[in-house]
Amino acid sequence: MADLFNLTLEDKLYRTRYEPDSDHPHITVQVEICRTCQDKPCVLLCPAHVYKRKPDEPAVVLVSHDNCLECGTCVQVCPTESLDWRFPDGGLGVKYRF
Amino acid sequence: MSDEQVKVDVLVVGAGPAGISAALCLARAGLEVVVVERGESAGAKNMGGLLYGSVLETLIPSFHELAPVERAVARRRIVYLGPDRQMALDFGHESWGRPPYNHTWTVPSPAFDRWYASQAEEAGAGLVEGMLVDEVLVEGDGASAKAVGVRLRGDEVFRADVVLLADGAHGLAGQAARRRLGMASPKPQHFAVGVKETIALPAPVIEDRFGLEPGTGAALDFVGAPFAGLVGGGFIYTQKETVGLGFAGRIASLQKAGVEPGDVLERFKRHPEVRRLLKGGELLEYSAHMIPEGGVDSVPQLAGNGCLVLGDAAGLVNMSLYKEGTNHAMASGVLAAEAVVEAKAKGDFSRAGLSSYERRMAEGAALADLRKYRELPEILEGVPELLGDYPERLSRLLTDYFTVTAEPKAGLQRRARAAALDGLPKLKLARDLWRARKLL
Repeated sequence: MADLFNLTLEDKLYRTRYEPDSDHPHITVQVEICRTCQDKPCVLLCPAHVYKRKPDEPAVVLVSHDNCLECGTCVQVCPTESLDWRFPDGGLGVKYRF
Repeated sequence: MSDEQVKVDVLVVGAGPAGISAALCLARAGLEVVVVERGESAGAKNMGGLLYGSVLETLIPSFHELAPVERAVARRRIVYLGPDRQMALDFGHESWGRPPYNHTWTVPSPAFDRWYASQAEEAGAGLVEGMLVDEVLVEGDGASAKAVGVRLRGDEVFRADVVLLADGAHGLAGQAARRRLGMASPKPQHFAVGVKETIALPAPVIEDRFGLEPGTGAALDFVGAPFAGLVGGGFIYTQKETVGLGFAGRIASLQKAGVEPGDVLERFKRHPEVRRLLKGGELLEYSAHMIPEGGVDSVPQLAGNGCLVLGDAAGLVNMSLYKEGTNHAMASGVLAAEAVVEAKAKGDFSRAGLSSYERRMAEGAALADLRKYRELPEILEGVPELLGDYPERLSRLLTDYFTVTAEPKAGLQRRARAAALDGLPKLKLARDLWRARKLL
């Protein structure tokens, strides 16, 4: 049993149940608009680390939508409104049990 | 296609506490109502915590005997966490642990919402789960624009006389509809983000650690060092065999402080006082959800042509110590249903025809409470000392006060008091404490 006090975010997300809508990303970034944003608050504030700066091109954000907890924080903080966010198809995405 | 379009009296977007309450009441009144839920089942996108049942009790008497509630909250604790100490106000009442309880239950929302939705179905409401509303259909422009139904993903259209927006804090379809219908709020809504870990512990361990009888539960709220510089705090709710550990903080304050919500939760979890409560537990789920916390000034116009807005979608959350949302959501569902029944009798589903919802809400407890705590968001932001420096000083005072030495108490206490007040502008303290009364 993993120590409760030494879990990585990856460990945590592994416990959450998902049925990803892998073929239809529910989040797309308008890259050219996003590029103008210096701070990229989505990277900091997404509780599931869905957004990461591209290692060799930090002005670009990569999205791993399969991990999305569908809280909506990214939409609230995106200063350039460059996120097209449209929910996974009905019945898919995160499935909370508690 | 248009000939085949299905039409009902009322469509509800979202099978949470607000939407289901409305559907239950409408079905009981004999209206044709359908709830559309994007989750695989009702509750699949909701995360659990405290259920305040005073409204539900009027709809389904003794609901706790039927519903999957886990523990009756008989104990509350408000804790200040210093870096290396803690200070708590811990209170409870024996009667809260037995019938008729204190209308406060811990619930896993997914299971509860599913049960609650089944009650609405039994009353005659339709429930369509696993179906996403991509758009609320609005016809007309300007003042004559009205909601006429919804478009599901896959382009199927569902029409209704009234659409109830109960699609929660992150309700994109409802927000877009409100913009088109001109249902604005005096101030823009702002949100907290909540992150939660559900941690398995055996029931007897939970009861021992939190001082509970079997079947009774505790709700703990935390402020202090783990949340320094943020507008927000932590919570622990005891379910039957799990503990919900969470942090909710205003998104703007996290951004300003440059910290991740998950890191704050981890800081909170690792505080020695919290660690003791959780040790040996196993993580079952990690979840996140937004909470609308703008208060009454961020509540939108509640009625539009063919449209009402309910629950979290309307920002009906009291972020004071009470942390009430579920019962306000349910109350809004009940009052929306009453207004729709009245509108149906008149055959008028315009804003004017539905306006009794606004009147009923204005007279009801939910908005009365939000009005009472109108200044809460700005006080918490404007006077961070209230949940930070002031309790920290008090905890230092208590530490000094109870630190045992060989010297006479009088001198010790004098020094402790002086240290606690050191560098504190007394006028500001007095003014802040006077403002703090609005938080109570």
